Amino acid sequence: MLKFLSKVGAYAKDAVQAAKYIGQGMGVTFDHMRRRPITVQYPYEKLIPSERFRGRIHFEFDKCISCEVCVRVCPINLPVVDYKFNSEYKKKELKSYSIDFGVCIFCGNCVEYCPTNALSMTEEYDLSTYDRHELNFDSVALGRLPTKVTEDPLVTPIRELAYLPKGAMEGHQVDHRQRRAGQRPEELMAESKEGTEA
Amino acid sequence: MGGIDLQRSLVEVLTGAGLSSGAAKAIWMPLPMILIVLVVTVGALVCTWLERKISAAAQQRIGPEYAGPFGILIPVADVAKLVIKQGTPPAKSDPLLYTLGPAIVFISVFLCFLVVPFGQNLLISNIGTGIFFVIAISSIAPIGLLMAGYASNNKYSLLGGLRAAAQSISYEIPLALAALAIAMMSNSLSTIDIVSQQADYGLLSWNILRQPIGFVIFVIAALAECERLPFDLPEAEEELVAGYQTEYTGMRFALFYGGSYANLVLAGMLVSILYLGGWELPFPIDQVGDMLGIAPSTAWWQIITAMLGITAILLKTYFFVFTAILLRWSVPRVRIDQLLDLGWKFLLPIGLFNLLLTAALKLALPSWFGG
Repeated sequence: MLKFLSKVGAYAKDAVQAAKYIGQGMGVTFDHMRRRPITVQYPYEKLIPSERFRGRIHFEFDKCISCEVCVRVCPINLPVVDYKFNSEYKKKELKSYSIDFGVCIFCGNCVEYCPTNALSMTEEYDLSTYDRHELNFDSVALGRLPTKVTEDPLVTPIRELAYLPKGAMEGHQVDHRQRRAGQRPEELMAESKEGTEA
Repeated sequence: MGGIDLQRSLVEVLTGAGLSSGAAKAIWMPLPMILIVLVVTVGALVCTWLERKISAAAQQRIGPEYAGPFGILIPVADVAKLVIKQGTPPAKSDPLLYTLGPAIVFISVFLCFLVVPFGQNLLISNIGTGIFFVIAISSIAPIGLLMAGYASNNKYSLLGGLRAAAQSISYEIPLALAALAIAMMSNSLSTIDIVSQQADYGLLSWNILRQPIGFVIFVIAALAECERLPFDLPEAEEELVAGYQTEYTGMRFALFYGGSYANLVLAGMLVSILYLGGWELPFPIDQVGDMLGIAPSTAWWQIITAMLGITAILLKTYFFVFTAILLRWSVPRVRIDQLLDLGWKFLLPIGLFNLLLTAALKLALPSWFGG
């Protein structure tokens, strides 16, 4: 009889504990309801990409010397460089240049190795089209600059956590022009210059 | 006592206009039915909206926003989409059972609202078997689920249907035992009597204080009957695709979907009727009326109390719905063996114990436990 009672007691204890844990869990979920949603309502709100963001590649036609380094460093030899050797000037003349962003993996090797800095990366990442062939950008399309998130009148720019002012945890709550925490690159540069001069 | 009696008023008006009393009653009869079906449908639609909004809030999302203010029109969009969607019965399915399944589930849920009162006289029919009727009719639903699972010609559907049947059978017994303890205390199965017996001292006379164990059992069993998380095994996404609903689209799926949310509303209504004093406010409204010197038969006072009563029962119901949705995001799902263990080894013995305790207390303290 006693054994049975102790069993019942242990069982009841278990049940009470389980109820306690469920209560605790409910408390956590309930607490989440009063927190601000972290949703970024694309396309009305957009996060500001970092300055090192590897987006769509920008290409400057006049800087290119048709050396084809970009093709060689590309993991899949993606850029198509069409040139003609001009025997009069003994120079390559670029006729067209294109990159298919449906295939590009945005590794940035071409940008890294381009000897004349004809290639650079933009902050553009929304490249959706109705037809995958439209993603094959020719030199004209590659030469376009994307609208900056901060300058687009239709978009509310929101900063990411690392770019927020000191103490702020939420991009929604601060103006995007407010100064971020820590020193800016130019200040660091000035400081290091002072250091070397002294 | 007393309260608004729309039937008598309408019948009096119509007989006054020269109709026979039989014809007047025939004109009255469809009105509450249509009204209740509309109210329940709207209630279920509000539930789907609440489900989306509360789920979003619990995960720090926004949820539906652009369809009407706060996305309130999203259920309308849902229904419109499901109504115009083509139904595609799977190959080699049983066409009759495939259509009959969701219909049976839907009808059984809506039929239960026959005895659910919104006020003293605000219900379709005050039948003596009240709560027993609800339990009996709601156990038809698993047959529909089983039909749907069997007719779909799909192993996941069949498994889901079988699980639904097993789950409903296991949890109906504790549900019935908890309701039985209440019926014993109230000396009646009628939903009206059960609520009236909780009316005397406002909040203090609600059954939740006299039947705390029964309340817990009833809430757990009601969640299981609704097949909501943590007991959503029949439609477990992770294992069974969508259980018995796997092969359903369009209007037939809408019946399942609407039925499940109407069932949730029904569960909330039952919890508030059996344990939270139904349409009674947390303070006794009749005594407030006495204090203010208003006769209980005054028309505007009756309308105010009826309105407050409807608001009270809806608030209680949606409190239950809210808790169920919150629970969905707080609790992990149980396994099928844990589910059956909980039903047969935990809720059933406790339910029996609660019944015995209620009987003993009824004999020992007849003034508190309805002697």
